[in-house]
Amino acid sequence: MTDLKILVVDDDPVTLLLIKKKIISADYEVETATNGEEAVDLISGNYYDVVLTDLMMPGDIDGIGVLEATKKLYRQTEVILITAYASVDNAVEAMQKGASDYIQKPINFDELLLRLDKIRGLKALIKDAVDLREAMDVTEKNAGHTIQDLELEISHLQKRISEIKKVLSMEDRDHPKRINIALAMLSAIENNLS
Amino acid sequence: MPLKIKTDEIKVIIKYIHEISGISLDHSKAYLLETRLGHFLNEGDCSSYLDLYQKAKSDKKLEGKIIDAISTNETLFFRDKGPFDLLRNKIIPELIDARSAKIRGNIPIPIRIWSAACSTGQELYSIAILLKELLLDVKKYNLKLLGTDISDTAVSQASYGKFNKFEIERGLAKDKLAKFFSPDGVNWKIKDEIRVMANFKKFNLMFPFNGLGKFDIIFCRNVAIYFSLEDRKKIFNNISNALEKDGSLIIGSSEALTGICPKFEPKRHLNSIFYQLKQ
Repeated sequence: MTDLKILVVDDDPVTLLLIKKKIISADYEVETATNGEEAVDLISGNYYDVVLTDLMMPGDIDGIGVLEATKKLYRQTEVILITAYASVDNAVEAMQKGASDYIQKPINFDELLLRLDKIRGLKALIKDAVDLREAMDVTEKNAGHTIQDLELEISHLQKRISEIKKVLSMEDRDHPKRINIALAMLSAIENNLS
Repeated sequence: MPLKIKTDEIKVIIKYIHEISGISLDHSKAYLLETRLGHFLNEGDCSSYLDLYQKAKSDKKLEGKIIDAISTNETLFFRDKGPFDLLRNKIIPELIDARSAKIRGNIPIPIRIWSAACSTGQELYSIAILLKELLLDVKKYNLKLLGTDISDTAVSQASYGKFNKFEIERGLAKDKLAKFFSPDGVNWKIKDEIRVMANFKKFNLMFPFNGLGKFDIIFCRNVAIYFSLEDRKKIFNNISNALEKDGSLIIGSSEALTGICPKFEPKRHLNSIFYQLKQ
């Protein structure tokens, strides 16, 4: 299982504590921020797999601001917004800006944990895919070098064969001489290969 | 679970897939047929794979969907650094030298490039971005960049030039993303200045190469690997006829032409090889 590191942002300390407790009990790693500015500070210095942020917060940076700051730094971080019932339209707008999901207040914790579990599954799949691709790249690169070397070697040998053929059919020289030249050419090739 | 494919059906379906796409599957790939085609049985109300085959024979749309399902669209921006370094440092500069020596006056220098299995366009757009960065004033050149693919869906996505975050995250450096793409909701769209440089159309490499014209550079990477040896011979022979006398062919880094097309000669530049016609 991939462990997720989660940042929870909410200006209400009671909600924040409650979310933190629930998430920790599900074995996730959690950090918290009580406003947008604090969240952006944390995001600038740390990587989080998931940012769970309240949409409406006092101060200069609201949930959308946190979303934008996160996506600017880490495109792969999933952002989930917590919205009041009345602000669903804003949540949709946020999803168009790259948020992966939203949940409505009052928070249904079973629902929240299910969403996090889905993200955990998705991250694990992505990691698998990235690992596989990495393995494929390494294999392809190694195979590529070998194949390309062989291609060039074969092409080189084809040219040498034509040259030897030409020497053996030189009619202005006698047989022993042609054979000697051809043998010398073959020895050179042999030495090169070994 | 998708319906199990019967032994006598495997033969028919494999032959059909070869006919419509050139892709050569062997009998060990039954699981691939099941996982990739199984859902068409439900969707199309077919009782068996034979039934699906009968239906697809007279339904071009279904045929297209089967091609999409069975073909691999593995592609990314600037996939494998080698060929792009090769273009930038060797092939394009030498091509421009050779072409401009032949041209008099202010006629734009023609450069024609073909991405022979372009999938969703990443390869051709990567080439277009490279040319835009390398040539500075693209108006001095008569650029013709063509991308072709067997999949309708891939070709229309390529033409549209829109990519999702997963496609963007693979291979594309941040500075190039900022310079050549604009955000479009959660997706990214290639900017018009690059978009207009490239043309895309549907083309099956197994068909005769009529009307495509000749090219200075052909990319045909990691496509022929899905074809039989006989088909590979045919395709690379056709490619040799579509390439200018001094043109260059770039194939996948783990592909080879030995025993496939004797008309080509491999050449090395730094860590990559490319092919030219034997003179």
